[in-house]
Amino acid sequence: MGAPDSARAISVEAGQGCFVGLFDAMASPCEILIESEDRELATRLTRTAADEAWRIEDKFSRYLPGNVVGCINSCDGKPVEVDEETASLLDFAATLHALSDGRFDITSGVLREIWSFDGGDHIPDREAVSDVLQRVGWNRVSWRRPVLALQPGMEIDLGGIGKEYAVDRVAGILSEAAACSVVVNFGGDLAVTRPPQQRRAWRVGIEAVSATGGKGETVLQVRSGALATSGDSRRFLLKDGVRYSHILDPRSGWPVEGAPRSVTVAADTCTESGMLSTLAILEGYNAETFLDGEEVKYWCRR
Amino acid sequence: MADKNPKSVSAALAAATCSLLGSVPAAPVQAAEEPTWDFNTALLYYGEDNDRVQDLSLNILARRNYVDDRSLTLGLTVDTLTGATPNGAIRQNVPQTFTRPSGSSAYTVPGGELPLDDTFKDTRAAITVGWEQPLGRLWKTSIGFSGSREYDYTHLGLNGSLSRDFNKRNTTVSAGLAVAHDIWDPVGGTPVAFAPMLDVGDTGNKTGSETKDIIDAVIGVTQVISRRLLVQLNYSFSNSSGYLTDPYKFLSLVDGATGETIPRVPPPGAEGPSHEFRFENRPDERTKQSLYGQAKYYMGGKVLDASYRYMTDDWEIDSHTVDLRLRWPLGEYSYIEPHFRFYTQSEADFYTISLVDGAELPAFASADYRLGNFDAITAGLKYGWKTRSGKEMSIRAEIYQQDGTIPGDLLIGNQVGRETYPDLDAIIVQFSYHFSR
Repeated sequence: MGAPDSARAISVEAGQGCFVGLFDAMASPCEILIESEDRELATRLTRTAADEAWRIEDKFSRYLPGNVVGCINSCDGKPVEVDEETASLLDFAATLHALSDGRFDITSGVLREIWSFDGGDHIPDREAVSDVLQRVGWNRVSWRRPVLALQPGMEIDLGGIGKEYAVDRVAGILSEAAACSVVVNFGGDLAVTRPPQQRRAWRVGIEAVSATGGKGETVLQVRSGALATSGDSRRFLLKDGVRYSHILDPRSGWPVEGAPRSVTVAADTCTESGMLSTLAILEGYNAETFLDGEEVKYWCRR
Repeated sequence: MADKNPKSVSAALAAATCSLLGSVPAAPVQAAEEPTWDFNTALLYYGEDNDRVQDLSLNILARRNYVDDRSLTLGLTVDTLTGATPNGAIRQNVPQTFTRPSGSSAYTVPGGELPLDDTFKDTRAAITVGWEQPLGRLWKTSIGFSGSREYDYTHLGLNGSLSRDFNKRNTTVSAGLAVAHDIWDPVGGTPVAFAPMLDVGDTGNKTGSETKDIIDAVIGVTQVISRRLLVQLNYSFSNSSGYLTDPYKFLSLVDGATGETIPRVPPPGAEGPSHEFRFENRPDERTKQSLYGQAKYYMGGKVLDASYRYMTDDWEIDSHTVDLRLRWPLGEYSYIEPHFRFYTQSEADFYTISLVDGAELPAFASADYRLGNFDAITAGLKYGWKTRSGKEMSIRAEIYQQDGTIPGDLLIGNQVGRETYPDLDAIIVQFSYHFSR
């Protein structure tokens, strides 16, 4: 989740057989596609969506010192009691940590102190990496719902979950609020509230290589469920001809080797899609093997 | 994560997501690439040695995939068959003359040679149409139509199937049913059972067209045992009724002591058979049952595919088939696949090689070598490669060898020691091309 945008405004445009609500949140362009001819409804739904997205951003962005994440990160090892929603996200993060054998870790954000993925060629030395690693590891924290205690110098970052969580939350709220089909698309991570009526499916472009090999943008048709994409197509380091992906393995502190440039996964919820695509990237060379074993629909770009 | 059970991560993740969001997903995901046509095309050559059957076959299968896992499949096959095929008569040391099935001329086979009918020539066109779609989350169904037409044979068929996933989709149970109605309209008419072969121009032994009906049913289960092993088990039942005889096959009528075919002299000025031949006759019903087991084992990119089939029918034919394939990747874009198949069957209870002159006719008799006791081996190699744009090609070359044994009690007099079973060697070459549009 990026810094809150100063211009928190929504706009609604007429699209093809739908209205398109637009706003910015979590450093991404957000789009709400509403299959309805009622502009008022579309405006109301976009407003509701933006409010929920901004609420989640404000609450969990690591760039806002006063929120719950800022509070946890600045308390220097002292236990913090968190609210229900934060506790649920922490439980989820703990499950992901276990499921991924430690590859998915919300305490790995401090590695960014030494790694900056700006396309440049600065590679940290091994000592610096092992120093920072002392402050990384979900196994080093004490989490007994609702009390979390980090070790001094550790930080958490819910950015790896937040956007997908926000998409599902917004989709859930809009599904209750309107009987029509709505697509909630936050920078390419999206969910559909219910199958559309006036068209067979919503069309979504993803930057990926299709299973049959066509390169460039692949157009997907989505009737229900969700899509999420993880990858490093723009964020990487290049040194001596080696491409270092921005996906770091928190167990070694080094970039994952052989990670695909992007992985798009289709699943019932955006959270599941996002986590499966992230876990696949963390598998590096074995990304496709992992996804094949999970028997999910995916599009992988190498 | 590598050693856990298939789908263990996604199942655990679904449960964790459900408790995070406090709700279950409204609808299962339905997402797919924009509908595309997938084309599987193949050109196959099958050639038997000694100028016997040659078949050139072109197969095009087009499949359109829709967003919600529905798909339409259209198939077209065009076959051209030429060459000669054993007509059922036994070898003689003297030339033998036969009236062609059309009844309009005759052909002569030199002494000592296996009698082959060289009029075998046909073009066949077949189409299939299929529709497949899910029914809810766990069920899947398909329906299809098939039809084919050749000069003397028409086939019409309908099929349907239903399957359901269990056990987190690790188990799939399926059932299928197919019915077909086929029409025989043999060249020159359908021979009357055991009627003698007559002189050219005499159609007193022929009637009109005949039909047969076929019902096939199959039930099966596919089970994911581990990430490496997939097994499948099927039971199938097939019933054919109606005209199951081959209208172009007949038997030699022989002397009960010498085993030699009874000579015949056509009337003066007429052209006709040099010996006594009787058209074959098979039961008008056949019920087959078979058990089929298949295992696919994945070993670091290599795939071993092994299967076994046991078939038994009420014509007393029992068969066993073992089929082995090993797909061996050569780098990222190509693979080789050795293939070995062994087949063995016992003969039908009415299979014989000749009829005895003066003896009471059996209810049924056929000398068709395909109903005899034989073993067959297929061995070959396939090489497949993929272009960077995603097109897949493969070339397959195989040899087929069929070796028959005639049970000793069917041989009479001089037939002993004479090679009576028409052994067969064939080669198969196939080129396949797969692409999407």
